[in-house]
Amino acid sequence: MRLELHKVKIQDVQFGDNTRINDGVLYVNRKELQELLQADKRLGKVEIELARPGERCRIVQVADVIEPRSKIGSQGSFGFAEKYTTLGEGETSVLQGVAIILSDCRGKGEATISGESHGNIIDMAGPGSEVSPFGQTLNVVLLPQPKDRVSGMDYQAALKMAGLRAATYLARAGENLKPDEIEIYDLPPLTEVMKSIDTLPKITYIFQILSLQFEPIPGEPTLFGKQAEGMIPTIVHPNQVLDGAITSAAPGLNVQTYQIQNHPMIKELYRRHGTELCFAGVILTVAHNNVADFDRMADISASLAKWVIGADGAVLTKTGGGAPELAMARTAQRCEQLGVKTAIAMLHMGADFKDAKYGASTIFSMPEVDTIVSMGVPYTELTLPPVEKVIGGPRSQSEDLTAKGEMVQWMGSIKGSLCQLGSSRLTAVRY
Amino acid sequence: MKESDDMLRVIHYVNQFFGGMGGEEKAETGPQVHDGFLGPGRAIQTALGSRGEIVATIICGDNYFAENIEGASEEVIKLLTPFKPDLLIAGPAFGAGRYGIACGAVCRAAMNQMRVPAVTGMHEENPGLDLYRNEVYIIPTEASARGMNVAVPRMVNLALKLAAKEKIGRPSEEGYFPRGLLVNEISNQTGAERVVSMLLKKLRGQSFESEVPRPNYDHVIPAPRIEDIRRAKIALVTDGGLVPKGNPDEIEMRTATRFGKYTLKGVDCLRPEDYEVRHVGYDSVFVRQDPNRLVPVDVMRDLEREGAIGKLHEEFYSTTGVANIVETMRKMGEKIAEELKVNGVSGVILTST
Repeated sequence: MRLELHKVKIQDVQFGDNTRINDGVLYVNRKELQELLQADKRLGKVEIELARPGERCRIVQVADVIEPRSKIGSQGSFGFAEKYTTLGEGETSVLQGVAIILSDCRGKGEATISGESHGNIIDMAGPGSEVSPFGQTLNVVLLPQPKDRVSGMDYQAALKMAGLRAATYLARAGENLKPDEIEIYDLPPLTEVMKSIDTLPKITYIFQILSLQFEPIPGEPTLFGKQAEGMIPTIVHPNQVLDGAITSAAPGLNVQTYQIQNHPMIKELYRRHGTELCFAGVILTVAHNNVADFDRMADISASLAKWVIGADGAVLTKTGGGAPELAMARTAQRCEQLGVKTAIAMLHMGADFKDAKYGASTIFSMPEVDTIVSMGVPYTELTLPPVEKVIGGPRSQSEDLTAKGEMVQWMGSIKGSLCQLGSSRLTAVRY
Repeated sequence: MKESDDMLRVIHYVNQFFGGMGGEEKAETGPQVHDGFLGPGRAIQTALGSRGEIVATIICGDNYFAENIEGASEEVIKLLTPFKPDLLIAGPAFGAGRYGIACGAVCRAAMNQMRVPAVTGMHEENPGLDLYRNEVYIIPTEASARGMNVAVPRMVNLALKLAAKEKIGRPSEEGYFPRGLLVNEISNQTGAERVVSMLLKKLRGQSFESEVPRPNYDHVIPAPRIEDIRRAKIALVTDGGLVPKGNPDEIEMRTATRFGKYTLKGVDCLRPEDYEVRHVGYDSVFVRQDPNRLVPVDVMRDLEREGAIGKLHEEFYSTTGVANIVETMRKMGEKIAEELKVNGVSGVILTST
């Protein structure tokens, strides 16, 4: 399966009469995009704002971040907001340097489960912008208002759809341009992938795509256009993941769709394929919230790795907080029991690491799971200076002045500062 | 020994035994000052060399200290203040429990009250370790004084670094017990690069160091089974954050420090309009629809009527279990268990989310 990412580098974004790219500047026809998104009957007015790096601006109640992409020569839209499209092969237009930011415009109580008063934020200047990649992208912020009597879940599904539609709409502008760069992802089927490299270890990636800690949102396209809730672990080609098969399910704890589109683990396995390892597919799984399902999903994933793929080793990541950590650890343990060596990468959440007595930075303790990479701890505090402009938040309230002022935020609430998938260089060190 | 301006003024703390006063029979002796070094202080002075001088040794009986830790700490601080010390070294206490506690307490007091850097040493099973390791730099030692020659140079090295306000490296580099801090640092590789490298090393049989050590959690031994469930009084306890509307006990949504107990007298079934959920770690929509899904009062009343259990305890207990401190939860658990015991409860259904 061969995927070509045709990347057009964008240097600036502005509103303009028609949506196009000229000399590296993306012009957005605000009205046209607005009308496209407002066609969704669940949404009222959809405001669109721009936020560029260096501007003293803060985006609040951020729900997800999506890179503009479209399938060249296809009528479908990225992430299945429209017609079904074959993913993973062919050419995909990418607007590099641009991000679509979804801001949840409901009242605070509904929009923020994190307990932070402004939800997840993105700062475009100052220390907050330095810790997140989205402080350095040209951001097109979507602010969809919910229509009256639309349920919270329907609104959240509509919000995600709006982001996916906008991603396709913007990336279409790059389809007929000569790309600045073409990235090629080409990997043969599992039956042939070992040819001529059969001395290298076969490595698979077990990717937890959804956490059932939170009630899944019906209608949110998290896996090939559908909600992944009821799935059993399954094998996909890594190109399908890179090409929009998976989006970050709300509430997206430290995983954004943008990071899945640029999946750091998949890119890393590709980079080493053929020299140090043989990249043998991706196993998708879901983190349940009870022991019976932990065991069930762990056994199915491990069996796929061992008996279907024949993997020598597996890397694992998680999504969400505590229960997903246990689900991942149980899966790694089951792999080890079947003879598939594992290494896991994780953020520290849920454990009481302040009490040195337990030496705890994981909530599990399994002798077989002994190969762990730390990707940081979300509870570091950062003081953010005041800003001139706040984008997002509930419209029904008068302008929220507290969001403009200096604020102390924990790292985990700065969207993009932490990554469950391995893109950041953070590591938590025990002192 | 000659004093010079750049020579650190060091205080050494020892117990009655290492201070040469005697054994248990002198353990009630209060703190006193001895000029210069004494006992193990000689080894410390040798390790300090010309960088520091032990200007005084404080000696205190172990029982005297252990019986009134705060008072004794105060007395020690009063005694050492006139010496204007730059550094405090306590022990090492090896496996001696009361001595370890005294060393930890003196170090903490010196650091917190006088801003004087302090170091001690003890064996990993010394009870002073868990009491003070979060605040005090403690060097691992053997259980007995045979480990003196190894421990002292390590203690002195770390103490000199602290006095010079140098950056203190990782526990494995500097040789102290980890202190319960988890600090974000920037690696030269991404998480993805590191985890793939680590897996390849593991597969090749090469040595690698996991970035996350395995925690050593306590094992909970289950209570013996209930002899006759049909006569037993059963209580409902949850960490799912169910509280009466308005959250009267102000239970926190994460890292809770409190629990509440709420009456079930005359309650046959929990009504959704009476309760709310304070918890950020799960989606509480189904509990808010029907609180009995978390705290199953409805079925417990059925079982009560059927005679399957003796009685449902007339209060349910609730707190919030998300990102909690183990020690806080242990105390809450002890308090709840104590109250349940007093009320004749012999079994608990604990629902977690």
